[in-house]
Amino acid sequence: MNALRDAGIEMIPYLIAFVVGYLMPWRKEWFERFAVGSVAALSVAFVLGLWPDKAVEVAETRPEEWGHLLNLIVFLPLIAAIAVVFLPRQSPKLLKQFTMVVLGVDFLASLALLGVPMSEGWHFQYVTEWVPSLGIRYHVAIDGISVWLVLLSTLSTPIALHVSFGSIKKRTKELCFAFLMLHGAMMGAFVSLDLFLFFVFWELMLVPMILIIGIWGGVEKIKASYKFFLYTMAGSMMMLAAILYMAWVFHSIEGYWTFDYLALKRLVLPEDAAFWCFAGFALAFLIKVPMFPFHTWLPDAHVQAPTGGSIILAAVLLKLGTYGYIRFCMGMFEGPAWEASATLAGVAVAGGIFYGALCAWKQSDIKRLVAYSSVAHLGFVMLGLFSGTHAGVSGAIVQMINHGISTGALFLLVGVIYDRRHTRQIADFGGLAKVMPVYTALFVLVTMASVGVPGTNGFVGEFMVIMGTMVSDSLGRHATPAAVGASFGVILAALYMLSMVQRVFFGPLNNPKNEKLTDINSRELVAVAPLVALIFVFGLFPNILLSRMNDSVGATVRHLAEGRIAYEAHAGATTAKLRPKRGGPWEAGHPSPPQVADVAVALNAGADK
Amino acid sequence: MDIFPTNDFTLLAVILSFPLIGAFVNGVFGKRLGKEAVTLMALSAIGVPFLASVATFSKLLDIRAVQHAAGAGSADHVEQGARLYWHAWDWLDLAWTGGETTLSVAFSVDGLSGIMALVVTGVGFLIHVYSTSYMADDPGYHRFFSYLNLFIFSMLVLILGDSLPVLFVGWEGVGLCSYLLIGFWFQDDANAAAGKKAFLVNRIGDFGLLVAMALLLRYTGSLSWEGIEANSGNLPNQILKVWQMPEVLAFSFLPDWLLLNEPTIATLIGLCLFLGCAGKSAQLPLYVWLPDAMAGPTPVSALIHAATMVTAGVYLVCRLSFLFVLSPATMFTIAMTGALTAVFAATIAFVQNDIKKVLAYSTVSQLGYMFLGVGVGAFTAGFFHVLTHAFFKACLFLGAGSVIHTMHSRIHDTDSSQDGRNMGGLRAYMPVTCVTFFVSCLAIAGVFPLSGFFSKDAILIGALTNTVSSSGGVHDAFVWPEWAGSVLFGMGLIGAVMTAFYMARLYIMIFEGDFKGWSIVAGWKEPEGHDHHDDHGDGDEPIDGPAPHESPNAMTAPLLVLAALAAVSGLLSAHDLGTHWLDHWLDPVFANALGNVVTDAEAGSMVPYIASAATFAGLGGAYFVYVMRGGDPARELAEKVPALHELIYDKWRIDELYDELFVATLETLAEVSIFLDKWVVDGIIARASAGVVAGAGSVLRLFQVGRVQAYAAAMVIGSVAFAGFFLLPHARVQLNGDLSNGQYELVASPGLGYQYSWDLDGDGEFAEDDFADKNTANIRLNTGKTVEVGLKVRNAFGLIRTVTIPLTRPDPSADETETAGVQGRATGQLADIEGRQR
Repeated sequence: MNALRDAGIEMIPYLIAFVVGYLMPWRKEWFERFAVGSVAALSVAFVLGLWPDKAVEVAETRPEEWGHLLNLIVFLPLIAAIAVVFLPRQSPKLLKQFTMVVLGVDFLASLALLGVPMSEGWHFQYVTEWVPSLGIRYHVAIDGISVWLVLLSTLSTPIALHVSFGSIKKRTKELCFAFLMLHGAMMGAFVSLDLFLFFVFWELMLVPMILIIGIWGGVEKIKASYKFFLYTMAGSMMMLAAILYMAWVFHSIEGYWTFDYLALKRLVLPEDAAFWCFAGFALAFLIKVPMFPFHTWLPDAHVQAPTGGSIILAAVLLKLGTYGYIRFCMGMFEGPAWEASATLAGVAVAGGIFYGALCAWKQSDIKRLVAYSSVAHLGFVMLGLFSGTHAGVSGAIVQMINHGISTGALFLLVGVIYDRRHTRQIADFGGLAKVMPVYTALFVLVTMASVGVPGTNGFVGEFMVIMGTMVSDSLGRHATPAAVGASFGVILAALYMLSMVQRVFFGPLNNPKNEKLTDINSRELVAVAPLVALIFVFGLFPNILLSRMNDSVGATVRHLAEGRIAYEAHAGATTAKLRPKRGGPWEAGHPSPPQVADVAVALNAGADK
Repeated sequence: MDIFPTNDFTLLAVILSFPLIGAFVNGVFGKRLGKEAVTLMALSAIGVPFLASVATFSKLLDIRAVQHAAGAGSADHVEQGARLYWHAWDWLDLAWTGGETTLSVAFSVDGLSGIMALVVTGVGFLIHVYSTSYMADDPGYHRFFSYLNLFIFSMLVLILGDSLPVLFVGWEGVGLCSYLLIGFWFQDDANAAAGKKAFLVNRIGDFGLLVAMALLLRYTGSLSWEGIEANSGNLPNQILKVWQMPEVLAFSFLPDWLLLNEPTIATLIGLCLFLGCAGKSAQLPLYVWLPDAMAGPTPVSALIHAATMVTAGVYLVCRLSFLFVLSPATMFTIAMTGALTAVFAATIAFVQNDIKKVLAYSTVSQLGYMFLGVGVGAFTAGFFHVLTHAFFKACLFLGAGSVIHTMHSRIHDTDSSQDGRNMGGLRAYMPVTCVTFFVSCLAIAGVFPLSGFFSKDAILIGALTNTVSSSGGVHDAFVWPEWAGSVLFGMGLIGAVMTAFYMARLYIMIFEGDFKGWSIVAGWKEPEGHDHHDDHGDGDEPIDGPAPHESPNAMTAPLLVLAALAAVSGLLSAHDLGTHWLDHWLDPVFANALGNVVTDAEAGSMVPYIASAATFAGLGGAYFVYVMRGGDPARELAEKVPALHELIYDKWRIDELYDELFVATLETLAEVSIFLDKWVVDGIIARASAGVVAGAGSVLRLFQVGRVQAYAAAMVIGSVAFAGFFLLPHARVQLNGDLSNGQYELVASPGLGYQYSWDLDGDGEFAEDDFADKNTANIRLNTGKTVEVGLKVRNAFGLIRTVTIPLTRPDPSADETETAGVQGRATGQLADIEGRQR
């Protein structure tokens, strides 16, 4: 009896959420209401699962980390992508259901990542040899930073695909294949700790993305997908060169090959080499972010991509650039990253926050406007990273999640009217609030998150970035101007977003084509509801995010400062050296030198003679 | 048992949650709830917080009474002040190299915020009641109350927040609600534009607040009220060099403080905070949004744009008074801005005909008074004016709303029904509205013994007698000028005369004389979107609408309550009548700040008489011009100087100036950015690089035309080049050295059949025919010695190349930096030394 009562009490929040969702006066049909109610209840489950208190409870019981969880998350979509090839093209319903189930399982599996407190060190680590002769290993693990990006991806991909199914009717099979492939590759890139493995996933993402833009895109889809591909590829090649160089240097010191992040992180390169390797990595990531002046591929790609592609692009793909910068640029090239931060922060403020905002203001295409707003928002993210403070870097990561949520939601909502009117020109709209009240309310709400009104998630990120910038050491005397500039960007954000909202939603309903527009339907509502819920959850309770990333960010910032000191102590040297092992949880999984009998050593020995 | 302990005062949760729940329920379910349920929800969402605020306030009174009793015996007893605190949850952590702070979602209430909460919920409740009637026919009824409840919630967060970021949540929240409510009738583009303008101008202020928060975090390490107060002492001792002034442009003829080159941190933070206050409270130069905000429904103007939100800036200055007084320069700026705004806005109010516009400029002007008060350190006086102004200005706006309501049911046009020229003589038709309006007019004009008299008096006395002394910081060079007191007082007095004049003009225009609305003035147009009134006439015939009538009870009752409060609330701090309750009540709040404020108590004794004289001069002048002469002198004056009249009527064309100066600049910048983006950034990185690749391709294509002879020629040239490279010997040497013992190892690069001969003593002579396979050589050098090592390399074809390698071992006694440089070169450098052929 007691157990039953406890179960009943535990059910209460979900029931309340379900009832509230069910009673939302937007839907007539009972099953539509049921769907909305279920989404509400699931959202509550998700939010309660995130709650820090729960995490502490779990911590006491010390759950085992299942080593294959990350493998499951990464390879389930990839294997499913191959499986899709063998499913019949004639039954799109089966394809859709199969894909959604796979992505759903992936999402649930990724929720299990939250079952472990993100204490110092790597979690869910799994290491195995891949190409032993070259020291290439399959090495995956997450920490408090990447866990959020993994979750962001597993949440956004199903939403993006769900939306795509609504508007794309042709080539469903290829669509499912591309999304599954893309998803698996993104997961892989976020969890890889071997640079070779990372590079493979990094490149693997490109292919499905150009398919998505190139097949289901707009009028100039081919040109846009070319541009996207070439920009990213140019950066990747520089990164590849840097990776190979670092592996070679490591080999010449230690005598064995490895591409492992933890090992290469220990290299202290001489100034020139460090700078060029940093530049190689940074170029790849800054193009992906994208940061001025490498941003022009983004508006083209966004405008031409279908709605689902835009959501993935904004929510996840761009985050790979910022994530890569934290993990690899700040992790491996502490010295150059520190020295370049003041300059790059200037670029982030002037070229991202100001320039992006000004460009956004005068756009006539809504999607292009949102794309430029991404440039501005990611300027904030990068500024937070350049600040090199705990507050700034945490803020940047929070802002990455926020941008994924709110810009993803914006693209989704823009897709809603594009599906109805097949235009995205601001001038074609006006006064939509009269015919689409629910849609307008949602759009204004998401706009407020994007503008950074306190109480929504957007504010938390921007606030922490500005605060972190002001107290930054790495920016030196540039800290104050950078912080003031970033604050000023808040005005510009309001300027371009509210101007657009006013022209699209308010004023008289002039265009007769808009008079018959129908309000948002349940499919779209189900897709956008979790994002809207998260806007408030993360706005009011950012500690959900922060408490889990705290240790990882602390380690990142600490290692940055230490690495920079080591780099400066090494100044003027002409050969690289290897920093002694730090030990502790952050170096668990470090590769060990192979046995003498190993093939690689034998080969090398032969070459030396 | 104490269910609401002082440190966990959860009653605040009740105060805050009710409006939020009301906003949510009305916003999401309002449409199907029906009007009665929405009304009930909205009223309970504000009524319950009001009762809770009363309970909170009585608890504060209790605490103070206990303190007072405890300290009754000792003469030098300082009252601690009452403070109730509630911590909801931890919001976020900020950590950096120098410190760490946790921002909590925490709320507190003390004497200052207790009164503000009472005003917000109390006046808010009255205005909610009023709105149930005023908005009764509007299709967006539930939406209106949802926004209104959300506004109350945000305002309460602003007031009760225990730290600057929590205040900021409310601060932007009220801005958002203001945006939504100004644009409530969004189908008119002008309303939506006014809402946007309000939001943007407020954001400029918020920018200041954000920067201030960042600076506070950096220099005090905290953002909660207590943390800032504890760590602010050192702020006047630090400076921030804002810009490097070139010697030539030193502007040495200007006083230092004007250049703001090396302001103290206290000044910088103070000015940034004040920028925020000026935005929210519509002070020069950011006042421009408030008159446009009148586009919203009139109850909104009463609640948000008169009684509560716009006074948030004054509240913030009071809240952080201890911080502001650390910088006399900031205080002087605040006082001057306030005085200038008071006079400037009053000039515009002189000539406006739209009755809401007159009240809007009057609000700007009165807000200027409040800032004048707090700027000269008369914090209690400034806050007292917030209080009295909330009553009489809310009453005036609601009265105007009552008039507009009845006019609109005749005229069906928003602009014409607000135009005072269409009114007159309404006293006969709307007696309650008229009486309450009259009382409030006298109160705002400052007639004894109504509330405005006492609050304005206190401000004027403060302006004349107070100065803010330097905080004693080493860098704080600014001293209040001698003329400050008399100039500020003079401007305040001029403002008082003008206030009395234009308020009397407004009253006379609406309620006295004959009703001019029987025949409509030109400019009337067919109404749009008001389907519920179809009884209007057509075109240019006089309209036979219903005669003006008194508004329903739901509207007049709030008017009566507010008018009563406007009349008697002055007694809270009527110094001339010997009551000092408010001063004692707020003493603990301002105790830290008042240490820096110097008062010359003697100088103010004549002020009440002078101020009263000013008031009656203004009232009498208006009576003479508009009643005795029927407005002729004003018309003549306008005809005599038409340009000036036009200029003032167009609000000094400040909006146009801003459009030209800032908006146009920003637009130009945006257009330049787009041009750059398309043609320069994209042009260079995408198009030009693509062009280079394409060009290289077309050049290279020329060689790939399938002509076998060309291929053969290229092959021959290539082979010869390769052969030449392999035929000639190459002498490259890598140098590994150990500075500590002078041992150097020279390693020559290997090659096909290479043999090496070394000349290690540097005499330039090689032993004949001692070529060997060994490609390394060791040499030991003494400090400071230099030797030129020679190397001959012979390859398989017998060709020989010779190089010399200069080696130097630096003297360790030499300059350290130099040593380091040499060391860098000597240790393990890849010395690519190509041979000099002998």
